[in-house]
Amino acid sequence: MNTQQLRRLLCSLSILILLPLAGCWSSKEIENLGFIVGTALDLEKKDPDHNGHLLTVTNQFVTSETIGSGTKDGKTQQKAYKNISETGDAALPTLRNMILRIDKRAFAEHSKVLVIGEELARTLNLQQTLDFFIREQEMRPSGLILIARERASGTLESKNLVDIPAFQLIEMTQGHDRTTKILPPMTLTKIQGKLQSGSSFLLQSVSSIKGEIKFTGAAVIKGKTNKLSGFLNEEELEGITWISGKGKGGLVRSFDDEGLPIVYEILSMKSVIKSHVDGNRISFDLIIESEGRIAEHWDVSEKDFENGYLKRAEQASVKEVKRLIRNVLNKMQHTYQADVSGFGNKLRIEYPYVWEKVKKDWDQTFSEVPIRCEVKLTIKDYGTSDH
Amino acid sequence: MLAMSGSSKDRITNLQAAVILVNYILAAGILTLPRTSVEKVKTPDVWITVIIGGLITMIAGVIIVKLSQRYPEKTFYQYSGEIVGKWIGGLLSILIIAYFFTISAYEVRTMAEVTGFFLLEGTPTWAIIMPFMWIGLYLIIGGITPLARLFEMIFPVTIIIFLLVAFLSLGIFEFNNLRPVLGLGVIPVLKGIKTTALAFLGTEVMLLLVAFMKRPEKAVKVVLIGVTVPMVFYVITVVMVIGALSIDGVTTRTWPTLELMRGFEIPGLIFERFESFLLVIWIMQIFTTFTITYYAAALGLSQLLKKDIQPFIYALLPVIYVIAMIPKNINDLFHMGDMVGNVALLLFAVLPLILLLISRLKKGGKA
Amino acid sequence: MKQNSDPEWFTGDFAIDLALVRNEIGHNSDVHFREFHIGGTDVCAAIIFVEGLTDRELIDKHIIKSLMMSFTGGAVSRDFITNRVLSIGEVAEEQALKSLVAKVLTGSTALLIDGLPNALVLGTTKEKSRQIEEPVSEATVRGPRLGFTETLCDNTALLRQHGENASLSFMKLQVGQRTKKELVIAYIKDIADPDLVEEVKKRIQNIKADDVPESGYVEQLIEDNYLSPFTQVQNTERPDRVFSALMDGRVAILLDGTPFALIVPVTFSMMLHSPEDYYERWLPSYLFRLLRYLAAAISLFGPSLYISFVSFHQGLIPTKLALSIMGTRDGVPFPAIIEALIMEVTIEILREAGLRLPKQIGPTIGIVGGLVIGEAAVQAGIVSPIMVIVVALTAISSFAIPQYSAGISLRLLRFPAMFSAAVFGLYGVVLFALFLCSHLVKLKSFGVPYVSPIIPDRLTNWTDFMIRMPLKKIKRRMKPISANGSTRKK
Repeated sequence: MNTQQLRRLLCSLSILILLPLAGCWSSKEIENLGFIVGTALDLEKKDPDHNGHLLTVTNQFVTSETIGSGTKDGKTQQKAYKNISETGDAALPTLRNMILRIDKRAFAEHSKVLVIGEELARTLNLQQTLDFFIREQEMRPSGLILIARERASGTLESKNLVDIPAFQLIEMTQGHDRTTKILPPMTLTKIQGKLQSGSSFLLQSVSSIKGEIKFTGAAVIKGKTNKLSGFLNEEELEGITWISGKGKGGLVRSFDDEGLPIVYEILSMKSVIKSHVDGNRISFDLIIESEGRIAEHWDVSEKDFENGYLKRAEQASVKEVKRLIRNVLNKMQHTYQADVSGFGNKLRIEYPYVWEKVKKDWDQTFSEVPIRCEVKLTIKDYGTSDH
Repeated sequence: MLAMSGSSKDRITNLQAAVILVNYILAAGILTLPRTSVEKVKTPDVWITVIIGGLITMIAGVIIVKLSQRYPEKTFYQYSGEIVGKWIGGLLSILIIAYFFTISAYEVRTMAEVTGFFLLEGTPTWAIIMPFMWIGLYLIIGGITPLARLFEMIFPVTIIIFLLVAFLSLGIFEFNNLRPVLGLGVIPVLKGIKTTALAFLGTEVMLLLVAFMKRPEKAVKVVLIGVTVPMVFYVITVVMVIGALSIDGVTTRTWPTLELMRGFEIPGLIFERFESFLLVIWIMQIFTTFTITYYAAALGLSQLLKKDIQPFIYALLPVIYVIAMIPKNINDLFHMGDMVGNVALLLFAVLPLILLLISRLKKGGKA
Repeated sequence: MKQNSDPEWFTGDFAIDLALVRNEIGHNSDVHFREFHIGGTDVCAAIIFVEGLTDRELIDKHIIKSLMMSFTGGAVSRDFITNRVLSIGEVAEEQALKSLVAKVLTGSTALLIDGLPNALVLGTTKEKSRQIEEPVSEATVRGPRLGFTETLCDNTALLRQHGENASLSFMKLQVGQRTKKELVIAYIKDIADPDLVEEVKKRIQNIKADDVPESGYVEQLIEDNYLSPFTQVQNTERPDRVFSALMDGRVAILLDGTPFALIVPVTFSMMLHSPEDYYERWLPSYLFRLLRYLAAAISLFGPSLYISFVSFHQGLIPTKLALSIMGTRDGVPFPAIIEALIMEVTIEILREAGLRLPKQIGPTIGIVGGLVIGEAAVQAGIVSPIMVIVVALTAISSFAIPQYSAGISLRLLRFPAMFSAAVFGLYGVVLFALFLCSHLVKLKSFGVPYVSPIIPDRLTNWTDFMIRMPLKKIKRRMKPISANGSTRKK
């Protein structure tokens, strides 16, 4: 202990006190931020004297003002969010133009959802569109990507003043646990692998009908071009969920011989895809197993206690599931010629060398591959009623 | 008085030696390893490559230990002269000293880049680097014992937090991304060995550490443990990252491990995102690597010139700072890392073996 | 040998000697001189004592009465007086004036008898001690309700009373250059490291101070690093705490006149441990101990984490929380660091004010002041409600630390932590933590690394650190502290 040490201490203390005065380079107070919670991207149709494409970026902002108005004193005069659109030829310059129109610093780390308009997805490579959002470290890589039917900006509007549409979209995707009509969420993190690998994939599609947001099937993104090639409707999406086996719950509605509905509720679902290579011929076996219960049936004369009836109910449901699968396979193989349900991935795992050969034109090859399909449903119980 | 034992008699236990080794190895690599290795291997078998890289490093480490054990209580700087003569030994020592402070500069700069990018956008690099280096200086003035103790403090924190975040990221893990195992044979696996072996750089510190150990005869065990722990860390990292991002997704990301942590949210906890946890332990790991290399360089200079270590510690600080500021952008920085790695390969894989052989032939040291 | 000419020495002539004493301390109003004749003879004698320090009853009954009663046989000689007449325990002879005066001023009674060359010093000190009470500064739910008092011999007695242990040793030293005070170094002979005891003794002997009013002086004068914010000497009022420290091989220092005993060496974890940890069963103790570590972390980093999340890393907090913080901070005119400083300083002032106030209204003022100011500040829009929560939580956390002095260290360190968070956000917090750790690992308390159990030589030391294992499993004494007897139980 000597004066030298004391001097050193004083020096470091003064630095500690002086730094906050000089420093704080990166600090930004939370109330001065405008949180971007959702973003919609659209392509402008009218393209006057511009040779490239014109993008419209709509950001959904939540700021301290909108939050305050939503909660304080119960007065909900103002919307809980604020949408600002700006048009330009690349994402970031357009975003920066927004500075001119909002008093808050745009802050995207809470960006939850990215909606891409149909038109944009059809014309531009997704890789290009998303480039900025993947590159920017402020964007949350856990944000979801959705494809809007028609204009994307519409999905960020809500009639109800207190709701924030971006959050609604997020909460709706969680319904994927209870229905087979919603895809598992696709985040920015996950999509990069898909875009890079050149295989086709699905994105959840959403539409806005009279100010109400609704999930409507899935969008098919072709692997080769990374462009939208079409949509699957909800029924087809159900088929996809069965093939992938990733559903966690949902219903199968079939009819018994008399045309009365039987509803099978899925408790668990498992699918196994087996690939076979015989010379140059590739084929797949699809085996689906599921356990469930009878949730509803209208045939009052039948007794659930009888195994015979359960068998008939199972068969009816199996028929329905098979129909769903056939239906979507047909669409995948013939209408879109895109493998969006992991057949190629299975081939990659089981026959890596074959895959190396076919992966370039896999979607083309896939459209002619025979797929056998086997479905096995087991009804475990029938609720609390036995009529 | 037990307190007043001089710094020259500083001793570390074997546990401390192992912890130093682990902390030294775990550094910048953990954020980039998935990308650098996948770029070379291109199949999901990267984890095998990591294990092989670790095994190779172990062998190199054992050679280094065997060499050091022949000269008890002496560091490389002191015994290299005995093996190959004063001048060549001195030259080798200078090379190694240069290597140590370059590594230390590289680690600091990497830390500054990542911190500046993810946590402190807009803060100038010098402002990030300087306090970090001062704290390192403050620590190593105390000698190797405080260093070892600090490492022991950081180590359990690192393990707990790392395992926690790795476990949390299971939510986006897809097993299919890791299959098939050895689908395209072993050739791709072998392509990445150099990259992964470089991620284990750090066993060279045993050139010095053995001299400080209370029981140097157990040094081989220290190396084995000291490499196995980072190996487990790396394997977990690579598996989790590839499992979540897939091979195709990994290659395009600059910092894939951080990307993994940013890629999921767990609502309902106090924190929704966990990259901050990873960054915190990562900064601590960089700090350990920085201080040990810094100390190794200063120790080298003081032993080479047979002077007190303090002035060298102060003198090296600006040198490291200047080197850290040389790379102009992140690509330069990665190049610098590659360069240092190549030098290290020569210096610490080939050289110790040659020295060991010479020493055996001359029957130098303690047979 | 006898220097009659020297005024500092007694001559044996009663009148001269008495005048000598009178001259030295006679001007004091509390010094009483009582002259009389011994037991029916004409031999003059006087006793000199200080009023209040002495036991009047003892003087009246056993000194004056014995001496004035006519006694049979024997002349007035030194031996006769001490052996036959004076019926009190402590009798000593004193030749020099200075030392006699010193004794008288600490409560002894001087007896001068004509014809005797030396003065007699009779132990009549009345112990001014208060009742042994429960320590105020370290209350516990379970455990002995004993606390040290201001009297040294009571305190050593308390330690002896703890249990019979022949190895418990006391070493008496004197401190203070002008005002002498007694000090006792306590240790257990076959557990404590002899080097450590020697070092403690050396450091205490090196104390150069006129007066040592409280053990805090000793603490500051013997600590290793006065620049460190951490206390390197533990103080306690609890004998059980001292005793358990002694059994760990530590050394205790007891100073006369203060109920606060010192324990060295200190390790970081001691700050967060309480003797109660061992009285309760292991599971609750284990949880409480963890809780205390958490509280320490909050009281150190609470506000700085708030600053770094609100001013730097808004992306790292959950969206809904971020939104609600954003809503509440709307209209607050200050950045988070200023906001935090205002509130932290306010609460420190409140706490300081509460300490000085009378016991009855102190806590009330604290609570009322805290609540009212917090509420009003929020209403006025100076601070956000979340900030008030953070500050309150931090303050409460710092109370959860069993050692008052350790709590002070953390309170102090909170401010640099806040500054570094204000400059570098989370990175600043990490840097500060690294700096603190670097400091801690370098710090030593009497040769023992401050962080000892955190960084064990052997893993078994961890059985009693953050986790407290069942008592049956804690076998080893902390290695770095004791040289001998490394097993706790036979």
